[in-house]
Amino acid sequence: MGRTLRVVMFSWEYPPRVVGGISPHVYYLSKSLAKNSVDVYVVTCDFPGAPSREIVDGVHVLRIDSYKNPAPDFATWIYLMNMNMRKEAAALIRSLNGEVDILHAHDWLVASATIGLKHIFRIPLIATIHSTEFGRRNGIHTDYERMIHETERWLTYEAWKVVCCSNYMISHVAWVFGVPSDKLVMIPNGVNIADFQISFNKEEFRRRYALPEEKLVLFVGRLVYEKGAQVLVEAIPKVLSKVNAKFVIVGDGYMRNPLLKRVHEMGLTHKVLFTGFVDDWTLKRLYNCADVCVVPSLYEPFGITALEAMASKAPLVVSDTGGLSEIVEHDHSGVKVYVNNSDSLAWGITRILLDPAHAETLKENAFQKVMREYDWNGISVRLRQLYSLVHEEYLRGSWKPK
Amino acid sequence: MRVLIFSWEYPPRIVGKLAHYVNNLAKELVKRKIGVYVVTFHDYLTGCRREANNIITCRVSNPVRTHIGVLTWVLTLNQEVERIAAEVYYNSKRQISLIDVQDWHFIPAAVTIKKAFNIPFIYSVESIEEHRSHGANSPFNLSIKSIEWLGTFESCRIIVKSEWMKNEIIRFYNVPTEKIVVIQPKSQEWIGRILQIYNEATKDVGGYI
Repeated sequence: MGRTLRVVMFSWEYPPRVVGGISPHVYYLSKSLAKNSVDVYVVTCDFPGAPSREIVDGVHVLRIDSYKNPAPDFATWIYLMNMNMRKEAAALIRSLNGEVDILHAHDWLVASATIGLKHIFRIPLIATIHSTEFGRRNGIHTDYERMIHETERWLTYEAWKVVCCSNYMISHVAWVFGVPSDKLVMIPNGVNIADFQISFNKEEFRRRYALPEEKLVLFVGRLVYEKGAQVLVEAIPKVLSKVNAKFVIVGDGYMRNPLLKRVHEMGLTHKVLFTGFVDDWTLKRLYNCADVCVVPSLYEPFGITALEAMASKAPLVVSDTGGLSEIVEHDHSGVKVYVNNSDSLAWGITRILLDPAHAETLKENAFQKVMREYDWNGISVRLRQLYSLVHEEYLRGSWKPK
Repeated sequence: MRVLIFSWEYPPRIVGKLAHYVNNLAKELVKRKIGVYVVTFHDYLTGCRREANNIITCRVSNPVRTHIGVLTWVLTLNQEVERIAAEVYYNSKRQISLIDVQDWHFIPAAVTIKKAFNIPFIYSVESIEEHRSHGANSPFNLSIKSIEWLGTFESCRIIVKSEWMKNEIIRFYNVPTEKIVVIQPKSQEWIGRILQIYNEATKDVGGYI
């Protein structure tokens, strides 16, 4: 190949526009790819105050005008946004003389833009499926959901390779869309480990959240049903009967008020602190102060908070489900407990809090694992290998334009 | 000259009178030695074929089967239109002179192809959403109007069938008057005028590409 591999990535969110996990994923991934000498363009939606063209950490970013068309509902807005994205990205690719080797789509939110461009320029398409409509809704129940489900299936059909972030998602995508297994590639989500290595006055920071004699139990996640904060709340009295602790619950969502009410009913308001959303600065320090970090999700395609805890050397208790099952090995890099079972969760938390030597081993093993498998640099190298593989297959084939 | 005509209806699929108009247009163009590819929708007669009258039809179906309305159906069908149009483009040594888009449905595909390959397109108007929905301004109608507006903005010429429609489009979409051409289908000079506009468009005489 005469020049460096050039990739155009499509995502409906990229910082400063942050809706969910795709935004940080694309940010770190594109940045690490650029460091590994891939020429990366990111095409994304606009955001107030953010420039339409800029270079961020070596990545060319194009923010399209995405609110041009009125739309009756979210899905129609997505398809119209894709129309505008196709138009602006087509002009971008033309300005590069069509010399783009890979188009990379993140979720159905950019499906129709990337599929159209794939055929127009005849550039191989790679799709990362972060989550599915089937998983988010626990089944398909309406025409609206089925339309999104079929759009996701269409994206996996059109993609040269489909990337998922966990083996759990690989098997889910294989089953729900009928994707052949040789098209599926597992490349995990990553964490920027260096971000979590901070030095600060722990005692002073910790005082804001817990008494010196209390252990600090940390939960980080949206307060929605599938993240399982309610399971943790039910486990609190069971833990407190064995060990003195303060429960810090970070995040917000529709379950915040019901949870507050439940804690009040239990007479435990002095033991539970709901912080709401916190900034990154605070979050990193909280991870570093935690005596145990709890991820009690009921549904979890990946489980990025688990990686953040591992990178911060906070001992982990996770429910044995989805991506979490793969990240943590029981009694080696954390403690696994039964899903949606507060007795089991209380057992896991107590086990770590009452055995500091064991906790020490777990967090050291976890840190080694996160360094080995979940560092963005290593992940971007794996992705670059996939890009090269697809590019070589493409060059050997007859689909490329003459 | 090689022309792609985009129309959401074409025989045997007849929804309104546009199907017959497009069929007639394609026939007359072929008689005048124009290479004509009609890109249209059909649920199962898919693919490109040369018909007995030498018109090449390229029919696509929608890869997403379930929809909540005509708008999402149209928006996902456009990628198949782009796919088959690109296939024609690559199979004909990248020599496509222009695209003639009939009504709003395939404007998104025409716009993408224009941006990708610098192929001009003409927006031919049979009807507009303002009249079809009797001035309704729900987000659904506004969406379709915004696609029609995109067609008026990105096209190099707009062909309408009456002076009345010309005035309506100027009134409704604020289009400069010289961008719109009135060609009455029943008139003597109809196909001659269409060809003249096609020629001007390929030479970028309008200056709007």
